[in-house]
Amino acid sequence: MLDAFILIAIQTVVLLASAPLIVGLIRKVKARLQCRRGASVFQPYADLTKLFQKQPVVSSTTSWIFTATPYILFASTLAAGLLVPVFISRTPLNFAGNIIALVYLLALGTFFLMLAGLDAGSTFGGMGSSREAIVASMTEPAMMLSVFAIALTAGSTNLSTIVHKTALLEGIVTDPSPHLMAFAALVIVAIAETGRVPVDNPATHLELTMIHEAMILEYSGRYLALVEWAAGLKLLVFLTLIANVSAPWGIATNMEPAALGIGLAAYLVKISGLAVLIGILESMFAKLRLFRVTDLLGTAFILALLGLVFFYVRRG
Amino acid sequence: MTPPIGSQLVDLGSALLLLTCFGIVAQRRLSACVDLFALQSIFLALTATLVALLTGIHHIYIAAALTIVIKAIVIPRILKKVIERLNVSRELVMNINVPASLLICGVLVMVAFLITQPIIPFGHLLTRDSLAIALAIVLIGFFTMIARQKAVTQMIAFLVMENGLFLGATAATYGMPLIVELGVFFDVLVAALIAGIYTNRLQDAFDSVDTAHLSELKE
Repeated sequence: MLDAFILIAIQTVVLLASAPLIVGLIRKVKARLQCRRGASVFQPYADLTKLFQKQPVVSSTTSWIFTATPYILFASTLAAGLLVPVFISRTPLNFAGNIIALVYLLALGTFFLMLAGLDAGSTFGGMGSSREAIVASMTEPAMMLSVFAIALTAGSTNLSTIVHKTALLEGIVTDPSPHLMAFAALVIVAIAETGRVPVDNPATHLELTMIHEAMILEYSGRYLALVEWAAGLKLLVFLTLIANVSAPWGIATNMEPAALGIGLAAYLVKISGLAVLIGILESMFAKLRLFRVTDLLGTAFILALLGLVFFYVRRG
Repeated sequence: MTPPIGSQLVDLGSALLLLTCFGIVAQRRLSACVDLFALQSIFLALTATLVALLTGIHHIYIAAALTIVIKAIVIPRILKKVIERLNVSRELVMNINVPASLLICGVLVMVAFLITQPIIPFGHLLTRDSLAIALAIVLIGFFTMIARQKAVTQMIAFLVMENGLFLGATAATYGMPLIVELGVFFDVLVAALIAGIYTNRLQDAFDSVDTAHLSELKE
């Protein structure tokens, strides 16, 4: 029982501590690829500290939703992160929810963020919210289908079971093609959901391009810090999901301290690798026009659907 | 219950081929299409090498090496040259738009799987699923030829079909006899060259590489 609490605490600390690091790493990779030196990898920590010390300014036209949203967003994203096996394949919280709960915990945060964008009544916020609604409504079917394809191959919707079985190569009754299709779909969904480059550009404040930034324009001080931290956390949760569902090797499958250490090291290596990959991808592609985003997310949907179809056709 | 790891790897290779096919269908930029085709050829060569390694049939190595040289290096170069000369970088007019194309391709994959369903149990265990994917790739290539109007994309679609056929041959019979494969490679190379020249002529005659112009009657 005590073990479980310690594990939850460690997982919380790991997630919270590495989220800004991942954001910093992606920025650094992009800067290097553009022949700039770039800020330190640890810059996001400094930004967060600075923001937490500042006094927030809140518009007088806002309702309680505006001030509650950062906390709801942060808490729901963290809860989603605790459902994903990070460095041990059996998370202590796995009784609390499965992969579908994860999808909707993330959607809850997005929903409140959209409400908050509308709440202040500024034009930008409403525009960002409506764009986010388009993207979110198109990513959700793709994400659900890819999640189902993964869940079917492992015979369970419980993330711990899926990762545990894959890590031990036991009870995985299928071939790699459904997994590959679901993986590709999940990568596209992750990029769209976390507002990375082909869909949204996290580095600009241009009216034409922003989606996520437009929604949080009204935030300042500690609220902004929480929203930014939650955005990093969401990215980290997606990277963790992708890394541990498709390549869980190295993750601890028992409670031995040595296995836990290896699991933690393997986890950090995997997510750093994925972060570098995202940095490279962002440098390679230009941002898509808003109405072209449907093409990209349509591809994700078809791929996820094919993953599912492969599974059933294969079974006969 | 679980198939051996070799078979899984071959399946993974075939699935990567299929994935690049979807990339080509969803892509509008011609040079990116060419890059994706080169990538697909590399995956094809890897899959073929894997089959050669697992079955011990040596002439597949030669076919894989030829795939790399001709389809991943020579033909993409020719196509890039053609694109550069024609000064067309995008497929703007399409008979069928991208989301609809993707849906149709999804249906084509399902059809391919349903057609090969009765044949699969009789095939070799190693490549049993690659046959369905090979048929799917041929169908998608065929569909892309119909759906796109620019001659360059149609040429890429033709080459994608050829990749599908090669994968099918590897999957169904562990490769054709070497002499047949050499002949096919030569044919493909010549076809790509001729299509390149023909595309240039098309550009000169009509100021466009839209193949719809070819059906117009002219004195």
